[in-house]
Amino acid sequence: MRSYIIRRLIYSVIIAWGILTITFILLRVGPTSPVDRYILNIAARGQDVDSVRQAIEARYGLDKPIIEQYLLYMGNLLQGKWGWSFSASQPVLDLIGSHWIYSFQLILLSTIFAILLGVGLGILSAVKQNTKFDYAASIFSFIGISIPGFWLGLMLILVFAVYLGVFKTYYDTGYPIWSVENLRQLTLPVMALGIGELAGYVRYTRSAMLDNLRKEFVTTARAKGLPERTVIGKHVLRNAVLPLVTIIMFDLGSIVFGGAYLTEIVFGIPGLGQVSFNAIFANDYAVVIAVTLIGTFLVLFINLATDLLYTYLDPRIRYD
Amino acid sequence: MTETRSMTRGKAGMPVYINRRLMNYYWERLKKNRLSLVGLGFIVFLALVGIFGPLFVQDPQKVDFEIKNMPPLGCSIQESVYDIKTSEFTTTLINGRADHPLGTDSKGRDMLAMLIAGSRISLLVGLLASGMAIFLGTFIGVLSAYLGGWVDNALMRFTDIMMTFPFFLLLVLIVFIFGPSLAIIVLVIGLTGWTGAARLIRSEALSLRTRDFITASKALGASDARVMFNHLIPNVISLIIVMATLSIPGVIMAEAALSFIGLGDPMSTSWGTILNTGQHSLDTAWWVAVEPGIMLFFTVLSFNFFGDGLRDAFDPKASV
Repeated sequence: MRSYIIRRLIYSVIIAWGILTITFILLRVGPTSPVDRYILNIAARGQDVDSVRQAIEARYGLDKPIIEQYLLYMGNLLQGKWGWSFSASQPVLDLIGSHWIYSFQLILLSTIFAILLGVGLGILSAVKQNTKFDYAASIFSFIGISIPGFWLGLMLILVFAVYLGVFKTYYDTGYPIWSVENLRQLTLPVMALGIGELAGYVRYTRSAMLDNLRKEFVTTARAKGLPERTVIGKHVLRNAVLPLVTIIMFDLGSIVFGGAYLTEIVFGIPGLGQVSFNAIFANDYAVVIAVTLIGTFLVLFINLATDLLYTYLDPRIRYD
Repeated sequence: MTETRSMTRGKAGMPVYINRRLMNYYWERLKKNRLSLVGLGFIVFLALVGIFGPLFVQDPQKVDFEIKNMPPLGCSIQESVYDIKTSEFTTTLINGRADHPLGTDSKGRDMLAMLIAGSRISLLVGLLASGMAIFLGTFIGVLSAYLGGWVDNALMRFTDIMMTFPFFLLLVLIVFIFGPSLAIIVLVIGLTGWTGAARLIRSEALSLRTRDFITASKALGASDARVMFNHLIPNVISLIIVMATLSIPGVIMAEAALSFIGLGDPMSTSWGTILNTGQHSLDTAWWVAVEPGIMLFFTVLSFNFFGDGLRDAFDPKASV
């Protein structure tokens, strides 16, 4: 088991290195330079654009050959130096350190919301198969899967903020993270992000439950005279959990720079999505690489955690 | 050769047949799923609108500030104008007009014309990009499964890297670097979206590879290319069709999301671009944000319905 984990960790580092290299190349072969953002200011001050550009490039080592820049960047990274953000004028780690919590709270809350409601509805839907409730849940999940999350966000703002005035149209960073006001203003973003996930979970839970409901051990459990509650909760649900965990963990990995990214932009939440979005437009390559790496490590960690979770959930699975 | 079969590729004695009777069987199965027919109907309607619609409406990019923020036919809004001389508000009622049945946006562009132009873009990007992704995925998957060894290893490790990459971040990054144009958007989605297909096709091809008819054709002296193109790929074709259909919604949403955050092709009108305009006029012109989203929603829903129906029709184990 331990050797398996070590192998996986080494493999993860290799993949992360591959992604880092691809991102670095993409950023440095692009036609725009991080210096571009200074050009207008420089020109406005009447200085010679080219000489200032060269000075800035020399200062940040941008004039060196790309291979040398790459080695320099890698060397710094291995020493734990993540670089300097041009656009925010602060170290990359500080920038990320002050923004990650906004993404984290959004993703955490919407995931909890989606799992609780989605799995619950899915179980009910499977137990009441082919009833009106089941059909309603199916239609709801089809709708939820097909609604673009960012548009749902816009519609929620339109109805609840613009017309009904129940919520504000923008995210107010003035409230502390641990406050009721903050929780309240996260209602719409959490719904916008969570409903798509929720709809997926309803579908997967339902089909996983139905698969197991037909199994013989369920008939046996019922024949033994166990109450239906126990049959569903202990015999069917526990066996349906494994495929669900796969889906939920996969979603968790892809949501960070997928749905959450757009939700942050729609609602103006200053999380990592917003940070990386601004960094890309400012060609702030240290930030882009750092954020990409964080996303990558997150996905790799979640993949590993999923595989390890399997062995706990299903003792028949072994990786030796 | 019987009447029920027609030859599609007739090289040297071993043609790939399209079996008419089997096609009829699939069609009969598909027809039983009403929702998938509704989906197909809407897709066909949208395609017709996209192809012929632009002939009947005005130029979607035509700006006319005289008629800006005109509500859809049957709706009316109150517009307050502040008169600087009398310092009084005058409120006028603006009614929707028949010549702009779906209203106009904040630059006076006709919504109907823009939506029609958008349906063209969405379908075009959806079909081209997912076609490209599935083609690449099939090619890589079959190659990997059939050749095995170090080719398989290298291709699958590369797939791992691509799968771990934060997908949307990569899209934003590349589109920003190479400039927003339709060709770039299609290329990027096509070149990054093949990973899931490659894995699925690979696992399918791996199990096919050991089957007797493959061994037989190899024993008869068939070349690798022949086995791959005439035996392996025809046997995964139904899987490919289903995957392509079900991947289109994701592509359409990705394109809309890119345009929404301002990375759409500035020369063309896409639903995402309209949403971008609508986001800023939620309080003055709700329809600009509502209408393209509804189109997006129904398009994605239709592809999901149709894809699900196709999957069940092709799956001999599914009851329809």
